[in-house]
Amino acid sequence: MKVVASMRGRSRLMLIAAMGVAALTASACSSNTSSPAASGTATHAPSGSATSGNITWWASPITTTSPDPRTVLISAFEKAYPNIHVNLQSAPTDTDTNRASLITTISGGATSPDVFMGDVIWPAQFGHSGLAQPLSSYFPSSYWNSFAPGLVQGATYKGQVYGAPFFEDQGFLYYRKDLLAKEHMAVPTTWPQLETEAAALVHKGVVKYGYVWQGASYEGLTCNFMEYLGSAGGTALNSGLTQATLNSPAGLEAANFMHSLITSGATPGAVTTFQEAQSMSAFATGQAAFLRNWDYGWSYSQTASSPSSVVGKVGVTPLPSFPGQASPGTSNIGGWNLYINPHSKNIAADVTFIKWMTSPAAQTILGTQFSEIPTVQSVRQSAAVKAKNPVLAIVGDTRLIPRPAQTPAYAKVSQAIYTNINSMLAGSASPSSALSAASSQINSAVGSSSGL
Amino acid sequence: MSTPSVAPAPGGGVDVSGPGEPSTPRRHDVFRRQQARLGWGLSAPALILIAAVTLFPIGYAIAMSVSNVSATGSGFSLSGLTGSNYSIMFHAPQWRYALFFTIFYTVVTVAVEVALGTAVALVLERLTVGRGWMMALLLIPWSLITVVNATLWAYIYNPTYGVLDTIFSHIGLGSPVILGTRVPAIIALMVADIWKTTPFVAIIVLAGLVMIPRDYYEAAEVDGASGWTAFWRITFPLLRPTIALAVLFRVLQAFGLFDLPFVLTQGGPGYSTQPLAILAYNAMFRDLDFGPGAAVATSTALLVVIGCLVFLKVFRAQAGTEV
Amino acid sequence: MRNRSRHGWHRVVNGVNLAALLVFLFITLPLYWMIASAFKTPANVGASPPQYFPHPISTQNFSVAFSQNTFGRYIINSVVVAVVATVLVLLLGTLAGYAMGRLPMRGKFTVLVVLLMISVFPAIAVVVPLYALLRDIGWLNSYQALIIPYTAFYLPFAIWILRNYFMAIPHEMEESARIDGASPLRTIWSIILPQAWPGLFTAGIFTFTACWTEFLMALSFNVSNNYRTIPVGVALFGSQFTVPYGTLFAASVVAVVPIGILVFIFRRSVVSGLTAGAVKG
Repeated sequence: MKVVASMRGRSRLMLIAAMGVAALTASACSSNTSSPAASGTATHAPSGSATSGNITWWASPITTTSPDPRTVLISAFEKAYPNIHVNLQSAPTDTDTNRASLITTISGGATSPDVFMGDVIWPAQFGHSGLAQPLSSYFPSSYWNSFAPGLVQGATYKGQVYGAPFFEDQGFLYYRKDLLAKEHMAVPTTWPQLETEAAALVHKGVVKYGYVWQGASYEGLTCNFMEYLGSAGGTALNSGLTQATLNSPAGLEAANFMHSLITSGATPGAVTTFQEAQSMSAFATGQAAFLRNWDYGWSYSQTASSPSSVVGKVGVTPLPSFPGQASPGTSNIGGWNLYINPHSKNIAADVTFIKWMTSPAAQTILGTQFSEIPTVQSVRQSAAVKAKNPVLAIVGDTRLIPRPAQTPAYAKVSQAIYTNINSMLAGSASPSSALSAASSQINSAVGSSSGL
Repeated sequence: MSTPSVAPAPGGGVDVSGPGEPSTPRRHDVFRRQQARLGWGLSAPALILIAAVTLFPIGYAIAMSVSNVSATGSGFSLSGLTGSNYSIMFHAPQWRYALFFTIFYTVVTVAVEVALGTAVALVLERLTVGRGWMMALLLIPWSLITVVNATLWAYIYNPTYGVLDTIFSHIGLGSPVILGTRVPAIIALMVADIWKTTPFVAIIVLAGLVMIPRDYYEAAEVDGASGWTAFWRITFPLLRPTIALAVLFRVLQAFGLFDLPFVLTQGGPGYSTQPLAILAYNAMFRDLDFGPGAAVATSTALLVVIGCLVFLKVFRAQAGTEV
Repeated sequence: MRNRSRHGWHRVVNGVNLAALLVFLFITLPLYWMIASAFKTPANVGASPPQYFPHPISTQNFSVAFSQNTFGRYIINSVVVAVVATVLVLLLGTLAGYAMGRLPMRGKFTVLVVLLMISVFPAIAVVVPLYALLRDIGWLNSYQALIIPYTAFYLPFAIWILRNYFMAIPHEMEESARIDGASPLRTIWSIILPQAWPGLFTAGIFTFTACWTEFLMALSFNVSNNYRTIPVGVALFGSQFTVPYGTLFAASVVAVVPIGILVFIFRRSVVSGLTAGAVKG
């Protein structure tokens, strides 16, 4: 049958095109008026005075063991506030999938979830696009001062705080104390010392891998890189967030060191595919002598069913430093904040919920029952929390460095860092060329308003 | 207009219509219009549903690609008509690579799957015992959720506890970094994809195979042709429409490649395994660059459509048959 | 063709059976790996070197998947959504495919091309506006939130497939039915459909599998736990830093079993359906 290129066919096509245009003009007009009035200057909700309502809390699983910390916290909260009912919505475990789902939901104007648990690197991005409610006006400054230093700063964008720090992650150095004792090696306090010891252990055949960390092409590599960069005394962005500063002597020291870890054999080449799961597993099954990982590494390695064959053989210490720089080395800040959906219909109840979740009562539960690092300073330093495990005991001894997430273009900044550093680790770029490429990509990311 | 009736035609013309159709030209026209109306009537439910659900979102996405989009708390704001999103896209080396990678990936995987799928279908057709079992078995990889399939292969390719690493060290290949190096990562992706989708092609080809009448083969055997000759002279030409259909569908699917690289490599190392769909996803949902992301999505769709149309035209010209 | 001069063990060990064996191995080895790993203890799933056979055999992964993660609920939701959407697609697609394949409609090629464009449009770009649309109608967190979009997005594909198969059926049968006074629907039901059974099968399993495995829309539209489908449920396993392969595989094994059973039960009709087309040689 021949294609009948008749007027009827063409006019049919035009009709469809016209419908499409009508649809898009209708949507363009309606998209700005489709939501309820929820803007930056929301009703001045008295902090935490709502005592009734229904809220939906969107949170990804925190641990894999039972009981579930989220349900424990919700029950405790509902006991304190019997007329507020909290409905838990479990979010995807992958943080990027989680974010995509939230962006779809909130930019689509949904009123639910009311409160969501989000990554610490989201405030600038979400605040810039109106996807999170500014929280500064709901809480007095004494509230914000109760948190450990640096956390509230990290949740601030253009003078407004968007997330209440909920619990924190930091990087630590885990080591096999039995192997170090056997080989008469001291616990390393500087990076070169670590490299030497790790390489020696590998060459002697004591372990398959010396020092494992997260070197895959993903956000975790940015965390690792920031730790070396901070230890060397460098920064990634200038204070005005307009210029990359990692192509500096400090940056070069950090990159060169990371590169040398692989060339010296201290770190396996496979580290370019390691995320937390792979590096943790390598250490917990006894194949690695040193591990850089978040605080969960302690409970993971001490639970035989993880699987772990190194129960009782692990020590933990703050990250090493570079010689001539401040000690200990810097630890990257990870963790999760609590945000409010700008379309939420129950902001007062949300504020109550957040206030309680960041109160000493809830934070103590998180610390003592679930070994998460509390964000409230007083709880962090309490004896009960410090006694829980060796990681919590040394939290106060670490030096922290955040990722350069204060700019809304952070996703692209991070991508510039981790793709180039990963190329360097894989051997396809030299440290200096990787840094200069990252630097120029960061500059174009923070400079332009949009791009690919 | 005239009503359809069975009165004899004025003037009596030559009967050009088939049995059962009205015998005069005018009635033929009327009949055809009736049939056309019937056709649109039968298609209406499907078309209306499709239009109602898809036209607005697709129109909106196209609109996003030609305007300045910013995500605000109260929905998107589209302002202005601009080609800047497309301009950004064309100048981005990431997009050019993603385009190349997607096309390359599509061509290679579809070619391998068609070859393998046809071979499998041929085997299945000849199989007398256990054909049902084999078919059931074949459908299982294909029915795995793509994310699960990707996770299975991530487990196999894992550098610390993956079985492939163990096998490689047993046969003396050492411990290659599979997912962290560019070429092995691409091959690993393709293997996972081919494993899952070859059954799809095999089933389609099998359906076409069994439609080939037996007598053709018997006639060929009488003439002395067998085996390969029979395949190339009889089977393959008659299979062409079916294979073309399978190729078309696979190309459409392969161009939308997302789940496998998302789970296995996240587009890495660097951008070397980042297809267009993941580029669009990252642009929209990670960087919140909805304009350029929509431009990538729209241009991808356009490219695929043009490719399919060209393919159909070429195929029709060559085979002279309907697809 | 089969060489009739072979006898004895040559009949068994010939090219066809050898090829069949290779195919069998290629398909089953990764499958075996998945099933075996599902039955390992969670600790042994990450063991290095890996266990080739689970020892001890444990069903812990299954209990974790179903109890801790309410996986049974997700399976039910997936089944409901996939079955209803497939039925709808086959119903509407048969009518439209018949019309476009055998009836003289002007402009149908344009419509077909537009349908092709729709089915090809990346879901990523469409999810956000579709979400807003569903929210306005109030259909979020329901079965129809997925069934309607799935039907709409997979119909074009099905129409193409069905049209292709319908076109190959000779016209004579239809003419005689029309002379006998059968209505179009009757014609379709009793004459066309039985002949185009392979096409229906192909369109059906394609649609079912597409619905079963669709992730992006299911993730965005049905966030309530009561309506989540399997792909989304799987994304909730584990925690931020752990991928519980054992639990995932256990859940997948269970998700695959119904399909395996169905295909096994219907294998004779599937095979005979696929071979029915050969009768008209």
